Amino acid sequence: MVSMMLTGTRRRLSSWAVAVGLGLMVAACGNSTSTSNSSTIKIGILTTCGGPFAAFEQESFSGAKYALIQSAGGKSQGASPQNGVSGASVSGHPIEISFGCSDATPDKALAEARRLIQNVGVDILLGPLSGDEGIAIANYAKQQPNKTFVNGTSGAQQTTLSVKAPNFFRFGGDGAQWMAGLGTYAYQTLHWRNVAILGEDYSYPWTQAAGFIGEFCPAGGKVAKRIWIPLGTTDWASAVAQLPGGIDGFLLLTGGTDTVAVEKEYATRGGNLATHMLGGSSVMDPTSFTVGKPLDGLAGGSPVPLGSTDSAWTSYVNGLEGAYPATPKGSLAGSLFTGLYYDGMTAIIQGLKQVGADLSGNQSKFQQALSGLTLSSPNGSIKLDSNRNAILPNYIVEIVSQSDGSLGFKTIKTVPNVNQTFNGFFGPSSSPSRDSPSC
Amino acid sequence: MTLRRLRAEIAHRMAGGLALLVLVIAVVWVLARAVGLFGATANISLFLIVTLNGLTLAGLYFIVASGFTLIFGLMRVVNMAHGSLYLLGGYIGLRLVQNHLNYWLALALAALAIGVIGLVMQQVFLRWNQGQDLRQALITIAISVVLADQMIPYFGAAAVAINAPGGLNSSVRFGLGDVRYPTVRLVVLGLAVLIGVSLWYAIQHTRFGMIIRAGVDDRAMTSALGVNVQVVFGVTFFIGALLAGLGGVLGGTMIALAPGQDASFLLSSLVVVIVGGMGSLAGALVGALALGLVDQLSGVYLPAGYTNFSILLTFALLVFVLAMRPTGLFGRR
Repeated sequence: MVSMMLTGTRRRLSSWAVAVGLGLMVAACGNSTSTSNSSTIKIGILTTCGGPFAAFEQESFSGAKYALIQSAGGKSQGASPQNGVSGASVSGHPIEISFGCSDATPDKALAEARRLIQNVGVDILLGPLSGDEGIAIANYAKQQPNKTFVNGTSGAQQTTLSVKAPNFFRFGGDGAQWMAGLGTYAYQTLHWRNVAILGEDYSYPWTQAAGFIGEFCPAGGKVAKRIWIPLGTTDWASAVAQLPGGIDGFLLLTGGTDTVAVEKEYATRGGNLATHMLGGSSVMDPTSFTVGKPLDGLAGGSPVPLGSTDSAWTSYVNGLEGAYPATPKGSLAGSLFTGLYYDGMTAIIQGLKQVGADLSGNQSKFQQALSGLTLSSPNGSIKLDSNRNAILPNYIVEIVSQSDGSLGFKTIKTVPNVNQTFNGFFGPSSSPSRDSPSC
Repeated sequence: MTLRRLRAEIAHRMAGGLALLVLVIAVVWVLARAVGLFGATANISLFLIVTLNGLTLAGLYFIVASGFTLIFGLMRVVNMAHGSLYLLGGYIGLRLVQNHLNYWLALALAALAIGVIGLVMQQVFLRWNQGQDLRQALITIAISVVLADQMIPYFGAAAVAINAPGGLNSSVRFGLGDVRYPTVRLVVLGLAVLIGVSLWYAIQHTRFGMIIRAGVDDRAMTSALGVNVQVVFGVTFFIGALLAGLGGVLGGTMIALAPGQDASFLLSSLVVVIVGGMGSLAGALVGALALGLVDQLSGVYLPAGYTNFSILLTFALLVFVLAMRPTGLFGRR
């Protein structure tokens, strides 16, 4: 009886939820489909505002918006990344921004991309944020050849190595490239020989693992165990418990909440994060600083030179923090999501400038301009290969205690000109998976 | 008629037998892999730790879900804001600890604060909608959505962890080689047992508990007998919300706090009480144990290559129990 009542209630509830959801969606669409004159260029920004990577929303927003402020004459409407940017234009064409909100799942990213492209009618889409989303969007890009897709931070290798949509551009490289130098660092500097890999179970961590293995194993290292945990797992205690004994250390490939959960569990059990762990690129993010002191000395791979004293980087950091004074120092600039969304939007603006914002002929001139672009970004000089994936420098960065006791980063090594194939190690058929590449 | 009843009886027995068979196979499989059969490497200490992880996680689930089931059992309110109360409780505890308040005091204050917030919620929004299940559920959904969005500007979107004091923030050794176990998880388990025993005692052996039991059985009759049901409802909602807040602080210490956990703990509470039987304390206990153990063991002991199905398995558990016993394991018909 109770259960019947409950079932009934739940059934009615779910239809209500759908109805309310639909109503809100219609209302939201009504806002963003405001009519605009024909010379307006519409850009959609797709990131995650729900799910495990919700915390990266304001980082990715701040990067994309700061590029509009810096290179397209935009003005921030307030002191935080959540505030809009107005007045941006390229070659006299005003830029109109629409936002898409995913939860790191491919179907949600695809639905949002469809909404932005087909309903809102954006010309260019910047995003998505996460690996599996990127594969889905790159496949969708093939169905929309007259639109241009510029990747945000999604880092699965297949996206540009096997899907290869001709109108999908990735200026930030893939997850394997972001690990360049780390395998060598583990083998030569830390003298690790036997490691375990612990990560979330989807394409981006697999790709990151591939990048590490690509250097570590040919050098003579061994991977004792790979532990893949489903995205959305709340309690990571048993994941940490599976790390085998007798290893020199482990590589952690997680993001957001999961990173905090693992680091906390490992440190509480008496493990030393600084000497027994290396971090993937999303692990090296200020959102994990809540773990505190145990992080001091933790190294990892990153496509952005976190904590670098190089002038291109420091002027980017100062400019960004000047644009968003309300956000604590270091919290935005210390993130690859900020940096790579900034690079993506900057590339879009530069490409548009080169062709005088001419998107005619199915955007072919604009796409050609993007393909040939050499981007002088805060994270170094970036060019695209024939698959429209970046050839870029990569960095080994370390979390350090600063003079005021808070945590920050420093860059300890630079690896120049990293390409997606690792000089032939990866190819279109070598897509990384749970147990590939072998070691 | 008798034939139909006989058939139903046979089907019921067969279903029960099938459930038992699946359970036995699962247990045998896990134990066999733990001692090194079926191509696994023997690792007893891993088995013990993962089982303990399951038990401690079950403890956390129980603390949160017992409040949920208490409120539902008496008031028939499916409190969809229960997860939000959990998360808000954790954040309040975090702020108090960050302001150098003693951890245990912060735990108590945060729980009390959430208890009061729950009471206000019940008095202001739910009291005048008594008996209208759907309306009450919708109101609590609205509250949870508002709370979820309001918490982001105040507490940020990034994951944060509550740092427990020294002793709690360390690990204990079992004398099993190098194996160490986080103290905080054991404390959570201990508190869950304490809360479970106190609730059981209060419900079975006190006058107030008697009123609650009477209210669960027949609200109208209890009211007609002169019991001030409104006071009982208020106190029950206070306790239920308080337990959510308490769970929030403990969960924030044991795992971490982040936007989205309101939904995931609401979901786990729902699974726990649906498996156990809505409104039953013993059901919440068994449901929490089932969910915690399945959650942790499946991630490790599913055949290699299938561990990514561990998340599905908790819902398979739900489907399975509902198929066998639509009212949950301890639910009343």
